[in-house]
Amino acid sequence: MSNSLFYFFAALTLLSAGAVVFLRNAVAAALSFFVSLCCTGVLFVMLDAYLLAFMLILVYAGAVVALFLFIIMLLDMQGGTRKPFTKASMVASAIAGALLLVGVGVFAKHSEFAATAATLPADSSFSTDLKVYGASLFTTYLLPVQVIGFLLLIAMLGVIVLSKRFDGAEDIQ
Amino acid sequence: MNLETYKFAAESNQWWAIMPELMLGGLALALLVLEMILPKKDHRIIPVFSIIGQLAVLAGLIINYRTPFLGDETFSHLLKHTAEGQFMRVFFVVCSMLVTGLGILGLSRQTLPRVEFFHIVLVVTAAMMLLVQSNHFVMFFVSLETITVGFYILVSYIRSNPLSLEAGLKYLISGALSSAILLFGIVLLYGAAGKSQADSMQFGQLRAYLAGTPGDFVASIGVVFVLCGVAFKVGAVPFQIWIPDVYQGAPTPVTAFLAVASKAAGVSVLLLLVRGVFAPYSHIVLPVLVVMTAATILFGNVAALGQQNVKRLIGLSGISHAGYLMLGVIASLTIPAAVNAVYFYLFVYLLASFAVFGVMTHLAGTDDTDQQLDYYGDLAKENPLLAGVLAVGLGSLAGIPPLAGFIGKLFVFIAAYKAGLFWLLAIAIVGVVISIYYYFGWIKAAFFPVWQVPLAEGETDPRPPRKPVSRSLAVTLGALALASVALGFWQAPITEWLAALH
Repeated sequence: MSNSLFYFFAALTLLSAGAVVFLRNAVAAALSFFVSLCCTGVLFVMLDAYLLAFMLILVYAGAVVALFLFIIMLLDMQGGTRKPFTKASMVASAIAGALLLVGVGVFAKHSEFAATAATLPADSSFSTDLKVYGASLFTTYLLPVQVIGFLLLIAMLGVIVLSKRFDGAEDIQ
Repeated sequence: MNLETYKFAAESNQWWAIMPELMLGGLALALLVLEMILPKKDHRIIPVFSIIGQLAVLAGLIINYRTPFLGDETFSHLLKHTAEGQFMRVFFVVCSMLVTGLGILGLSRQTLPRVEFFHIVLVVTAAMMLLVQSNHFVMFFVSLETITVGFYILVSYIRSNPLSLEAGLKYLISGALSSAILLFGIVLLYGAAGKSQADSMQFGQLRAYLAGTPGDFVASIGVVFVLCGVAFKVGAVPFQIWIPDVYQGAPTPVTAFLAVASKAAGVSVLLLLVRGVFAPYSHIVLPVLVVMTAATILFGNVAALGQQNVKRLIGLSGISHAGYLMLGVIASLTIPAAVNAVYFYLFVYLLASFAVFGVMTHLAGTDDTDQQLDYYGDLAKENPLLAGVLAVGLGSLAGIPPLAGFIGKLFVFIAAYKAGLFWLLAIAIVGVVISIYYYFGWIKAAFFPVWQVPLAEGETDPRPPRKPVSRSLAVTLGALALASVALGFWQAPITEWLAALH
C-alpha cells in the first residue's frame, strides 16, 4: 500500500513539475508548481517527516507560490508567444542530452548501488520532531544560523540599496 | 538530544577561534550605526574607519598566525582550523582592504548610497574566511550563499547603469543555477552516505564513507555536481559564460573583488575538497578536472585576444589564470608541495591584479562600464607612475621575468612537471605565450600614442578626463607594484609563511 502510494505521488510530483515548464499560461504554471510542492509534502509525510512537510507547505506552497501569483497578476503576464527553437539549438540540446544519458549510463554500469534501507543500522537519536530540530539549530548548527542572520541582513540591505530612491551624494563630492 | 550533546556543543563553540570573522561582522554593523549617528558631512570617514578596523583585524591575524586552535575542529566539527585556512584568512582581509580603498575611489564618481557597499564587502569577506575553514557541508553551503548573495548586490550596485543591472541579473540567474547544482550534489552525497556515518555531511566522515565504497553510483554523481558548482565560482570552462558580461557590468572595485577574492575562495575550496573529502574518488575527479583545465586555459586566452574593453579583457584573461591554478590543484593530488605553489600563485595574482584594477578604477569615467583600450593612449607621457604600475601589474600577470608572476607560474609548472602532467603543461605554456600578446597590447596602448580619429564638429571626446592621482592611491599602487617586483627576486617571505604551519 505504502509503496503504491509513493509511486502515485512521485509520479504526480514529476507530472506537475513538467507542467510548470510546459504550460504556456503563467497562472496555470504557478498552480502546477503548487501541486508539485503539495505532492512532495505528501512524500515527506509518508517518511514520517511531518515537520518538513509542514514547512514545505507553509513556506513554499503558502508564501512563495502566493508571491508568484501576486507578481504574475501585477505584471499581467498572460501567456505570450515563444520563439520557435532554431535547428542549431535543437541539435545542440539533443547532443547534450545524449551525452548526459551516456554519462549517467557509464556511471551506472561501473558502479554499485548503496546498501538498501534494511541493512542500515537503526538510529534511535534521529527524529524529525520539532523539539529536536530546534535544539540542534541552537547547539550543533549555531554558527550557520548566525551566518544566515548576516545573509538575511545583506539581502535586506541589497533590496533597499537597489530600489530606494536616492537623492544624491551630499556627503562626498 | 541529551545533556552530553549540549555539553559537547557548548564546549566546542570556541568563539575565540573565529575572532577575526566576528570582528569583521561587528565592524560591518558599526559602519551602519556610524552612518546613522554621524552628521552627513562626516560620512566620508566611514570607509576610512572600515579600513582602519580591517588593519586591526589583519594585525591581529598576523600576530596570532600560529593560532592555538591549529588542527582543531570547533563548533561541533563545523569548522577546522588549518594552515591553509590561516593563510587564506590573511589573504581575504588584504583583498577586502584593497577593495574598500578602490570602492572609495570608484563610488566618488557615482551618486549612489555608499556605506552599504563597504558593509557588504566586510560581510562577504567574513563569509569567505569561514568558507575556507569549513569542515561540514552545512557550514560550506551557508557561507558560500552569503558570499554569492553579497555579490548579487555588489555586481548590480551602479543601478543607474543598465549594463550593471544586466550583469546583476545574469549573475543572479547563473549563480542560482550553480548553487542549485551544488546543493543537489551535496544532497546526493548525503543521501548516498545516509545513516552509515553519524553525520555524513561532515567532511571527515563523508570521506570515510567514500573510501569504503569507491564505486557508488549516487555518490559519484554527487561528487561531479559539487565540482561543477565550485567550478562556476572559479570561472572554469564550461561554467565561464557569465564572466565577460558580469565583469564588464560590475563596478570596477567589485570586478577586482570577483576576480581575486571570489576566484581564490573557489580555488581554495577546490583544494580542500579534492585533497580531502573527494580524495577516494580521484578516479572520477581527475579526468573531470584535467579536461576542464585544458579547456579553461585555452578558452580564456583565445577569447581575450580580440577584446577592446579592458574589463572584458581582464575577465577573460582571469579565466586562464583559473586554469593555471587548477593545473596546480591537479598536480597537488600527486605532489603535495604543489599546494604551496597554488597559494603562492594566488598571492602574486592578488598583488598584480589589484595594481591593474587600481589603475583601471582611477582612469574610469562616470560610465564605469565603458573602459576601452584606446582610452589608455599616452598614459605614460601624462602619468608615468600609473603607466609604470600598469606595466608591472600586466607584466606580472603575463609572467614576464623577473616579476613575481613569472615565479608563481614557474612554481606551478614545476609542480605539474614533477606530477607528470606533460600535456597539460604544454597547453599551459601555449596559453602563456598567447597571453603575452594581449597583455602587451594593453601596455603598448598605454606607452605609445594611439592615433585618434579627429573629432567631428559637435562631437565630444569619449575618453574620460584624467584626474590627478591622490597620494593614498599613489602609495597603495606603488606598494603593490614594488611587492610584485620584490617577490620576483626574493620569495622567502611568502614561502616561509606558507611553510610556517606545516
